[in-house]
Amino acid sequence: MDKLVAQYSRPAHQNEFYSEQEQQDLNESLPPLSLKFSMPPIDNSASFLRAMTDDHSNPSCPIKIAHGTTTLAFRFQGGIIVCTDSRATAGNWIASQTVKKVIPVSRLSRGEDKPSNDPTPGLLGTMAGGAADCQYWLRYLSQQCTLHEIRHKRRITVAAASKILANLTYAYKGYGLSMGTMLAGVTPQEGPALYYIDSDGTRLPGNLFCVGSGQTFAYGVLDANYKYEMSEQDALALGRRAILAAMHRDAYSGGFINLYHVKEEGWVHHGFDDMNPIFWKTKLDNGEFSNVTSEL
Amino acid sequence: MSRRYDSRTTIFSPEGRLYQVEYALEAISHAGTALGILAKDGIVLAAERKVTSKLLEQDTSAEKLYTINDNMICAVAGMNADANILINYARQNAQRYLLTYNEDIPASSSCADCHGGLRPFGVSFIYAGWDHLRQFQLYQSNPSGNYGGWKATSVGANNASAQSLLKQDYKEDSTLQEACAMAVKVLSKTMDSTKLSSEKIEFATVGKTKDGKIYHHLWSADEIDALLREQGLAKVDDEPEAGDIK
Amino acid sequence: MRGPTIIKAEDDKTRQLNKHTLMAFSGEAGDTVQFAEYVQANVSLYTMRNDTELSPAAVSSFVRGELARSLRSRSPYTVNLLLGGVDPVTQEPSLYWIDYLASLAPVPYAAHGYAQYYCLSLLDKHHNPNISLEEGMKLLERCTDELKRRLPIDYKGVLVKVITKDGVKVMDFDNDRVVRSA
Repeated sequence: MDKLVAQYSRPAHQNEFYSEQEQQDLNESLPPLSLKFSMPPIDNSASFLRAMTDDHSNPSCPIKIAHGTTTLAFRFQGGIIVCTDSRATAGNWIASQTVKKVIPVSRLSRGEDKPSNDPTPGLLGTMAGGAADCQYWLRYLSQQCTLHEIRHKRRITVAAASKILANLTYAYKGYGLSMGTMLAGVTPQEGPALYYIDSDGTRLPGNLFCVGSGQTFAYGVLDANYKYEMSEQDALALGRRAILAAMHRDAYSGGFINLYHVKEEGWVHHGFDDMNPIFWKTKLDNGEFSNVTSEL
Repeated sequence: MSRRYDSRTTIFSPEGRLYQVEYALEAISHAGTALGILAKDGIVLAAERKVTSKLLEQDTSAEKLYTINDNMICAVAGMNADANILINYARQNAQRYLLTYNEDIPASSSCADCHGGLRPFGVSFIYAGWDHLRQFQLYQSNPSGNYGGWKATSVGANNASAQSLLKQDYKEDSTLQEACAMAVKVLSKTMDSTKLSSEKIEFATVGKTKDGKIYHHLWSADEIDALLREQGLAKVDDEPEAGDIK
Repeated sequence: MRGPTIIKAEDDKTRQLNKHTLMAFSGEAGDTVQFAEYVQANVSLYTMRNDTELSPAAVSSFVRGELARSLRSRSPYTVNLLLGGVDPVTQEPSLYWIDYLASLAPVPYAAHGYAQYYCLSLLDKHHNPNISLEEGMKLLERCTDELKRRLPIDYKGVLVKVITKDGVKVMDFDNDRVVRSA
């Protein structure tokens, strides 16, 4: 009987702590390839992947990864603007025109956009490169951020979150991941913070980033007109205009303009709008895009 | 004397003449008269058509006036076979220029290249054209390869008298309409028959429409007859004319 | 540029074709100048023969035709061109974008190579057909600023020429401006 009782009873406070094993598992912010993917039966899976997917060197490669994109984010006096296009391409094929390339990374709002206009607390991540890689790893990051929040009873800093992602991409360096992402958030410790992380393992804090095949076009407009002191309205307009520039010139960007503003209370969505009426309005009202004729 | 120096165009006679060229010019002086008059708003070309026999099928198409391209026409005096070769060349040349430069060939360049190879071509041309450099232009070329711009000019039989009539009647700043009237008047005086009809002459004009587009127009028989009636030069139908085989 | 070495920093990569037509070129070393001077010679031959100057539109068609011919020859010219000019009759300015594959496009503004990726979006935004020369120079400065900021190549400054109805002249341009990134 004693034996039986001993088997089912534990010290009173034992459940409040993680076991040593569990502790170690959870503290492992860098999963040492611990996610235990099953690998294809091939000598060098990275070079195999490259051979199958690199349509730059081999246009007839069998797998075309969704690649083309324009995403941008910049810091300004009133927070951070995040803006993206919505096109997904696989080679020359437009796979979708309604991709949501801004991914909320936070426990409270994971996945869903709430109908209310109130700011939603949490970070935003952007998606450029392989769609699957970005979605998968940003969701993984979201999980880690939630665990961090539960464990430490406060939200993770953008610096820490970006470090988790960067360590992850660095660990998988050479395995063929393809992602260029920006993390934006406002925390009490940091204020507005913006990081760029890519699949090479690069992690950079900064004021202004554009990522994707249309980055140069967005940089063109953004660099020339960017001022840290600008108003919220000007910042939103500039973000939208810079993405429009890229959607107009880059064949791999297009669809809808997805615009977010991250501020102290959380992020606010400012629309997912078809680029075409915006383009024509910009052209006809402001006389821009003068190389495009409006007459038949 | 001339026998020794006229068999080839490349040989000058001791007097410094090229007989082949002179024979070619002679051939033209027997051809039907053709004339051109430059007006401020267009150009008129008119030509006498030699009716050799009643039995000859009267071709409704022009035999002395030809289109070179969208803004140039020409009148021919001389051997028709030679003219066909040169017109074909001029048309190709105009299209080649259009292909190279994506704009119409300037009028002056178009008539610059229309002359002989081995034997001189036995034709003179009067060109009427328009280009944006010099607007309406009238040129004349002859077998020697010479060409020049004119306000009014004529070639073919009786061209000396036509030329002096033109010199007499030409007014600066005349309209295309006035030029047309003058053209039939001159023709009526230089041609053998006193009364004209649409069978005996050809008429063409180059002008500008109200919206600024250049047109050229080969006149129909009805249009020519209307002009002749207007000028009182029309043949009265039942009045037989000397020289006609009845 | 030859391999990793800059041979000459202030090379004039333009040729004046006639009084008011100027052609800028880039591409394969050797081809560029050879082709530009071939065009230059043919355009002045035309001027001498016909006593008139070819319009920029006519020159552009001629150049396109020559490139198209060259493209199917044994050794094609690898040359990209920008051709600008003022029509001697209408006095209208025009600009043509021509690449080595013999594409020809009349455009309000243009660039070749990587500069396109940075400058076209800027020009899309800030250009309008009624832009003055002064505004045009400001816009050009915005473009070169952006190239200095983002292009991983130091192109050692630009040479600026302006074509008006009175001919071609070289403009003063401050190539030593230091540009700061955000």
